[in-house]
Amino acid sequence: MPGDPGRVPLIAALLDNAVHVASNREFVTYTGTLDGVEVSVTSTGIGTPSSAIAVEELFRCGADTFIRVGTSGSIQSGTKSNDIAIVTGAIRHEGTSNHYMPIEFPAVCDVEIVQAMCKAVDRLELPHQVGISHSKDSYYGEVEPERSAVSEQLLDAWRAWRIGGAICSEMEISTICVVSSILGARAGGIMAMHGEGEFGPLDNLIKAAVESVRELISSDKKKGK
Amino acid sequence: MMEINDKQYHIQLKRGDVGKYVLLPGDPGRCEPISRLFDNPKLVATNREYVTYTGTLDGVPVSVTSTGIGCPSAAIALEELVKCGADTFIRVGTSGHIQKDIKSGELAIITAAIRDEGTSRHYMPIEFPAIASIDTVLALQAAAKKTGATFRTGITQSKDSFYGQHEPERMGVARDLLERWKAWEIGGALCSEMEASALFVIASMLRVRAGGVMMVHGKEPMPSLDILLETAIQSLRELISIDRANGKKLTI
Repeated sequence: MPGDPGRVPLIAALLDNAVHVASNREFVTYTGTLDGVEVSVTSTGIGTPSSAIAVEELFRCGADTFIRVGTSGSIQSGTKSNDIAIVTGAIRHEGTSNHYMPIEFPAVCDVEIVQAMCKAVDRLELPHQVGISHSKDSYYGEVEPERSAVSEQLLDAWRAWRIGGAICSEMEISTICVVSSILGARAGGIMAMHGEGEFGPLDNLIKAAVESVRELISSDKKKGK
Repeated sequence: MMEINDKQYHIQLKRGDVGKYVLLPGDPGRCEPISRLFDNPKLVATNREYVTYTGTLDGVPVSVTSTGIGCPSAAIALEELVKCGADTFIRVGTSGHIQKDIKSGELAIITAAIRDEGTSRHYMPIEFPAIASIDTVLALQAAAKKTGATFRTGITQSKDSFYGQHEPERMGVARDLLERWKAWEIGGALCSEMEASALFVIASMLRVRAGGVMMVHGKEPMPSLDILLETAIQSLRELISIDRANGKKLTI
């Protein structure tokens, strides 16, 4: 589940026999196979509102494992651009998940997915961090907080996330996790971070995401799923 | 900070690509049909959920840009369009009915929005009202009279969760959703959609004009959106005409 519909065909190119199955609004879907098992790519659009819709409707179509793949800002200093973030849980700094569960409920990623991602990045020898993502509703609230009337709150909150050890900031994963928890589905996320140095192409991120799905398929097969 | 002539990060537009007057549907698929109601429409950018066409109405450049679903992506569209020089926005889309006697196909011309979403809180404390520009409300009313649309004027609920509205009983916060929905109904809100409140709050902060017209989905099947689109187009003509009469600059 990339955010950007433009990234769907790029990811689908790494599947076997991928075909375009639907395009509507920000939701573009391709389906192909990996190791003989059907796998799809669906874009969510930016933000948790459209992401929640994508998860809900995909689940109704029978999907039960959702992996967000996208870009993010880094929160910890020393992060290099294109370092990969493997997400374990998310700060619910957004509105959508509140329509599902009270704010106290944690947005947590599926452990099997986190494991599969760690194996994939190790195999590909990609620099990465594993940790918590900050999921926000306002892009410009993060990158230009001083402009907001609630800038002190935003700056205070950002400081808290950094002190709390969050590694990256993006706009979808918390809701994907909370909605998946309610549906009994699995969710996870893998993100390329913006950090020190120029941000490059996403080839390694996409490879890592696809490799994670192969890992997951392999471990599901072993478990007789 | 981006240079003023750089392409904006998400909408992939720069100064010169759009007019001052912009229609904002949620669905990128509605941009092309709307653009056909412009003179000399041209597709100027497509990125993510943001599709933009620019043409003219009465000789003045006008644009249509899709926002995607929800306030997070709508806020980005508005911010970046303002950076490109646009200053008048009409959200045009569909909505659910809150008042039970509204029939499918009626238009709701929006005066203000319930901030039942997350994005606008990143801009202004929750106490600040999401108010549509009076210019847009008046222009939309004048337009609806000309197109012959059946319409009401009032408040919309802008929400973050489509399924939280349509299947509230399924949610962990079901009682709260049902209670709040009852409150919006008692408060007289007409309709429910997913973008207006953030557009209005951000427009207030940026000192630009924003309004909205929604076709309301009642109990009956939804009719064609033609009258909605015609009314939105006519509202731009009304605004252009009023601005021209007031000696305002009509181009960026």
